Amino acid sequence: MAATFTEEFVEVAGSKIHVMKGGSGDPLLVLHGAGGNPGWIRYAQALADKYTVYIPSHPGYGQSERPDWLETMNDMACFYTWFMEKQGLDGARAIGFSMGGWLAAEIAVACQHSFSKLMLVDAAGIKPETGEITDIFIISPAQIQELLFYDPKQAPEYEQLYGQEQTPEQQQAAELNREMAVRICWKPYMHDRRLPALLGRVTIPTQIVWGRQDQLVPVECAELFKNAIPGSKLSIIDNCGHLPQIEKPDEFIKIALDFMA
Amino acid sequence: MDTYYFTEMPYAAFPESEADKFPSMRLTFPNTYFDPNTAHDLFKRYLDEFQFAEETGFDGLMINEHHNTPSCMDVEVNITGGILARVTSTAKILMLGNMLPTSDNPVRLAEEIAMLDVISGGRIISGFVRGIGVESWANNSNPVYNRERFEECHDLIIKTWTTPGPFRWEGKHYQYRAVNPWMLPIQQPHPPVWVPGTGSPETVEWAAHNHYTYAAFLTELTVAKELFQNYRTIAAADGWEPGPDKFAFMICCHVNETDEKAQETGKAFMWRMGHPLRGPKEYFAPPGYFSQAGTAANARRRSRPLNAMSYQELQDDYHLVVGSPETVTKKLRHIKDELGIGALLLEAQGGPMSHEDTMRSLKLLGTEVIPALRD
Repeated sequence: MAATFTEEFVEVAGSKIHVMKGGSGDPLLVLHGAGGNPGWIRYAQALADKYTVYIPSHPGYGQSERPDWLETMNDMACFYTWFMEKQGLDGARAIGFSMGGWLAAEIAVACQHSFSKLMLVDAAGIKPETGEITDIFIISPAQIQELLFYDPKQAPEYEQLYGQEQTPEQQQAAELNREMAVRICWKPYMHDRRLPALLGRVTIPTQIVWGRQDQLVPVECAELFKNAIPGSKLSIIDNCGHLPQIEKPDEFIKIALDFMA
Repeated sequence: MDTYYFTEMPYAAFPESEADKFPSMRLTFPNTYFDPNTAHDLFKRYLDEFQFAEETGFDGLMINEHHNTPSCMDVEVNITGGILARVTSTAKILMLGNMLPTSDNPVRLAEEIAMLDVISGGRIISGFVRGIGVESWANNSNPVYNRERFEECHDLIIKTWTTPGPFRWEGKHYQYRAVNPWMLPIQQPHPPVWVPGTGSPETVEWAAHNHYTYAAFLTELTVAKELFQNYRTIAAADGWEPGPDKFAFMICCHVNETDEKAQETGKAFMWRMGHPLRGPKEYFAPPGYFSQAGTAANARRRSRPLNAMSYQELQDDYHLVVGSPETVTKKLRHIKDELGIGALLLEAQGGPMSHEDTMRSLKLLGTEVIPALRD
């Protein structure tokens, strides 16, 4: 299964946005998490066998520019409805990972017609009732990396993604990504108090996926999302941390393809 | 050259080794180690020492503000400013300073500082600071907006002091319907504004554009020189030439009767140079707090952190000047000549330094060193 994708820049709201695109079939929009766009990895290629997968880098992330006015998650959601309109993605399927799951949820509550199917994976956005969302801004990138996985050895791409020491340029790019996350997620940290109530409006088919041992966004949030979104389904993956798509790619891909079909 | 006395009013009444159990002595060091009655006694003592510093010959008294740390009990510079305004009569009161980015109410700050200026009879120097990175966490103020909030808060305070009210303010971070505080400062057009820095190029540039005094804090002499030269270059481009009054330098300083005695009692500063400066990078540099240029400048300048330096190395680099009146006079004169400064800010009490050692040091500084520096 060779990696087949193209990269392009599209202009939205006066800003150039970097988009990875590959595969064929109906469009599927992927929204990355706070750490940034990990690129075209195994799960993306598997989805591209059935769908045309779009993976934009969020405004302010990687090579994407940030419009001056974009300072909150709601701004980001508004930006993305514009992006989808320009890319002809209205009504696309969507997957949001972590912070990108929060973003996908905000888009869905703002515009019911944005997505035809929605998948939220270890999503931020709802305040846990008993635990806390780990503050990733006050710990080091190395500490975050340790918390991402239940067992890094079971992640087939771990070495490829995390095995090498970052170059100064990569470190700087990662720092700028982190700064963008701080800009939009600082306070309230990684959640929006309105979201559970507003998710009651979402009636599109929704699949929630969570790693049971997620150490960043606790698994209780999976239930909170399920309770908030009418008719949503929940799959919890055992022995898995915050990134099921990387730690348990085969299980993740199966759930995703079954749901998206 | 004016000489200022400064202490952070530390709380060192717990075993220093306790700090080893935590990532830092700042932000998350548990406040269960705090005893308010001990703090009450310390405040009495520190305020007495400030009063004595004025009596013994210091030109000014400097106060500052930090949060979540035993290294500085002053949590509100305008409270201590208010006390000093009343219990002293001639010394300048250098507040270095009010943390602008963490403030949600610049007009209230403008009022408070104006009130201090009125009570003190025009003795306030209004320092404005960004707050170290830890303050962004302690006040939960987004570090990405630290500099823009600093600048807008400043602009509004200056306008509040200098523009007849009422006026409206519809800014990005601050909005007001009727800015019109009754309380305005004595000093015209407004109290002098100072800004501290340790290296961010933007701060030097901002200070120079505004003709404000730039105070280099615990930097190496070569770094201070470079920062002051940057200031002069920017000022020249703006068409003006700064005098010594635009440059201040802050170091730690301790005097005793002999060099030997001073070397012994001065060791108390190692508390201040140790744990309070230790902590995870994220505590001191939350993401977005430093610009890319600031990060690069810091990396280039500071070869070693202060808390990795020995007592002797700190003295060799003039972060800490310790000795008899003669020795200290000679070293401070060297600093004065090297930097061309108008103000020397001496942190002359640090960590667990006793009242007795502090008072003796202040007396020797006031009666022997400061007069000698005036010659």
